[in-house]
Amino acid sequence: MAILQTRGLDKWFGGLHVTDNVDFSMQPGEVHCLIGPNGAGKSTFFRLVLGEHLPNGGAILYDGADITRAKSYQRIRRGISVKFQVPGIFKALKVRQNLQIALQDHLSGHSLNEEIDRLLEFLKLKDAAGQLAGSLSHGQKQWLEIGMAIALKPKLLLLDEPTAGMTPDETHATGEMVQALNADGVSVLAVEHDMAFVRQIAQRVTVLHFGRVFAQGTIDEIVADERVAAIYLGETGHA
Amino acid sequence: MDFLSSLFSFAYQAGDAFAFLVLSACGLAVIFGMMGVINLAHGEFILCGAYVSTSATHLGVPLPVSILLGTLVAGAVGMLLERAIIRHLYDRPLDTIVVTWGVSMIATQGTLILLGSTMQGTGTPFGSIEVGGYGYSVYRLVLMAAAVATLAVLWLIFTRTRFGILARATIQVPHIAEALGVNTSLVYSLTFGLGAGLAGLCGGLYAPTMTLVPTMGSAFVVEAFVTVVVGGADIFLGTAPAAAILAVVKAALTSWEGQLAGQIGLLVAVIIVIRVLPRGLTGFILRERA
Amino acid sequence: MPSHSSLGSALRLLEGPQTLGKGPAFWSGFVVVLALACIYPLFADGYDVGNNVYFFNWAFMALGLSLIWGYGGALSFGQTAFFGVAGYAYGVLTINFGDAYGFTFVSLVLATLIAALFAAVLGYFLFFGRISGVFLGIVTLSVTLVLERFMSQTAGPEWHIGSARLNGFNGMGNMPSLTIPWPGGDVVLYPDVPLYYLTLALLVLVYLALRMVVNSRFGNVLVAIRENPQRAEMLGYDIRRYQLGGFVVGSALAGLSGVLYTAWGNYITPSSMGMTQAALPIVWVAVGGRSDLTTTLLGTLLVLAGFQALTIYGSQYALVAMGFLLVVTVPAAPSGIIIGIGSLFSRGLKRRKAREAR
Repeated sequence: MAILQTRGLDKWFGGLHVTDNVDFSMQPGEVHCLIGPNGAGKSTFFRLVLGEHLPNGGAILYDGADITRAKSYQRIRRGISVKFQVPGIFKALKVRQNLQIALQDHLSGHSLNEEIDRLLEFLKLKDAAGQLAGSLSHGQKQWLEIGMAIALKPKLLLLDEPTAGMTPDETHATGEMVQALNADGVSVLAVEHDMAFVRQIAQRVTVLHFGRVFAQGTIDEIVADERVAAIYLGETGHA
Repeated sequence: MDFLSSLFSFAYQAGDAFAFLVLSACGLAVIFGMMGVINLAHGEFILCGAYVSTSATHLGVPLPVSILLGTLVAGAVGMLLERAIIRHLYDRPLDTIVVTWGVSMIATQGTLILLGSTMQGTGTPFGSIEVGGYGYSVYRLVLMAAAVATLAVLWLIFTRTRFGILARATIQVPHIAEALGVNTSLVYSLTFGLGAGLAGLCGGLYAPTMTLVPTMGSAFVVEAFVTVVVGGADIFLGTAPAAAILAVVKAALTSWEGQLAGQIGLLVAVIIVIRVLPRGLTGFILRERA
Repeated sequence: MPSHSSLGSALRLLEGPQTLGKGPAFWSGFVVVLALACIYPLFADGYDVGNNVYFFNWAFMALGLSLIWGYGGALSFGQTAFFGVAGYAYGVLTINFGDAYGFTFVSLVLATLIAALFAAVLGYFLFFGRISGVFLGIVTLSVTLVLERFMSQTAGPEWHIGSARLNGFNGMGNMPSLTIPWPGGDVVLYPDVPLYYLTLALLVLVYLALRMVVNSRFGNVLVAIRENPQRAEMLGYDIRRYQLGGFVVGSALAGLSGVLYTAWGNYITPSSMGMTQAALPIVWVAVGGRSDLTTTLLGTLLVLAGFQALTIYGSQYALVAMGFLLVVTVPAAPSGIIIGIGSLFSRGLKRRKAREAR
């Protein structure tokens, strides 16, 4: 059974058909990348999966259950988690407290503190634990948000351009984090522009174009697909 | 004939409410649409327009000119305020709102200190006409025409001038003006002045119909607030249709249970609308643009 | 013993990331201030002491606004609506049912609950409608202004609830003060020393309880929503419920202020819900430092004292001063004068240290 599946997913804004009859499916334990030129509907697809927008038609199934009209927080409680493109952290709170807020519904007391310490280690943020989250470097902010997202022990992790604005070293370290999580059994769906990063993590790739599924396959198949290259070249030659 | 006269009566009531809602709200809406800020000193710009135009009328200036004078003075004060205070708070919109409340307190109480607890009014001009045995104030009809004219002029400003087109672009896509390399500080200054001027116009127009006291602004703000809340950010897609719908609601409730019921009903209606249409009418009309 | 440890963990919440002040230094300062407040009546005239209860009456509303606005990030400009509703409710209840058998205290609780219920209904529409910060402010402000206008036109004899006349613009008066039933004659709490101690005790209790609330899991989520509502929701929190919760608690405290004020002065008027009155809590909380309970409390008492001192020149002058205070402090010291002065001081200290090091 697919961990995430959409059937005929449709979304209009005004007269604009942003997500057009999208059939998508990914298997549990998979790292799946969503690529496509700007305006292809990747972000809208994410928002639909998260419940920030409701679709005009079609269905979203998560782990076998229909979540098409579920509230965002209900989806999160079922095991979906997200890291936004612009780091969504609590800037005026300390790093440690950011993680505590993510964890406090699941753990308490001693085990809460132990888990926070474990996460800080994993995120390479141990020395910054007492700092205000707003004072972190851009890459560290990204990691902190990844930490908050994985603190929920998700079955499915959504990453919206996780490496945006990162140095090559930070990007590579992020890729290793994703692989470590995947080794623990977390399914990952990422929107990404950086093809080197996609190559590092992705097992399967879906290309969106004008709101439709344009191509699907392994990274090698996608890179070899001349039609995919054409839509990118038609734009700015991102790939 | 009886039916026709009660129809006229209802249309008059609704038109009166529409004029009041449009005139009291459009200044607030212009500033909110452009800057995302609610000017809590809105009522005091109305006060300013009313006091200036009434004083001018007392000095023998003809009414239309004194209303224009009230508009201009309020607009100038608005631009000054923007230069002196608002400008420094653009990145903190919520604090801006709080600051305008402070300005409102200073203006209301300052007026009380300087000009006393009331100002001699001018009386409503033009008398009344009779339809179906009831008298209707001609000046109220003038106000309705003024509301429509104000919308028309705003339409021209927003579609025919460079300022207006930039302003609309900014309303639709915030920060686009900056991206286009426009002198946003001038645009904001003009916007605040325009919003304050429209408030002044409202004050000047309604001054002949009411008792002039330093707290008169608060007689307008509730209606202005609810219109903007229902209407959302865009004057033509939001404020004007919102005013039209609310005017009918208000007129119906007023003719049923009296003035106060009209006002309470309006607020209750708005609170329910919020639950149903969180993005206001603008959002509804634009079908929740991304 | 489980009860022991749960009490212990509750008390630990008195200190935490959401409240300034911790450790022996802070709490000994707290005890000293409290002790000074306790012995003050010994050195003052009973009449003055009773008058000064006035300051405490408002502090509850300010603390509630700090919870809603400072911690929760929701602009509520209409806290006076709950103040007024509870004040009138106390009047109606006690005028109808009298002050025997401790009913005034029952009324205090009931009136506060009525304000909370009103806040719950209003808040349901606002927060579950997901309106943005600005709109929340102007809708709540509209609510209090409309209530003021409604109560102002209830002068006629047809406006009464039981035997309580609403009395329009002039307001409702002659409700009984808080009265403690006592064998051998009830103790009526006129504005005097006993009322001072009762209100002070209540204030300390509310202050400490709120410290625990804001440092609890609930408080964590509340500040998370203030910082980034989307992220908070995407951690699995139904943010609407938390916002509503904070709003109801804060508004109940505004209601408590209304009851205490009405019982203290034996009157309540529609203007207590008007534009000017609605602005004052904003001034106290914004000037004092809204994002911390202690700075809010100190700031409120400070600003109120200043206001009171100025009213001898006429209340309009005092209000102009309040307006200026707001216009000057909000841009210059966004987190309030207390933190503002504190950070100025510590910056100066650092600079001096740096200079000495050179």
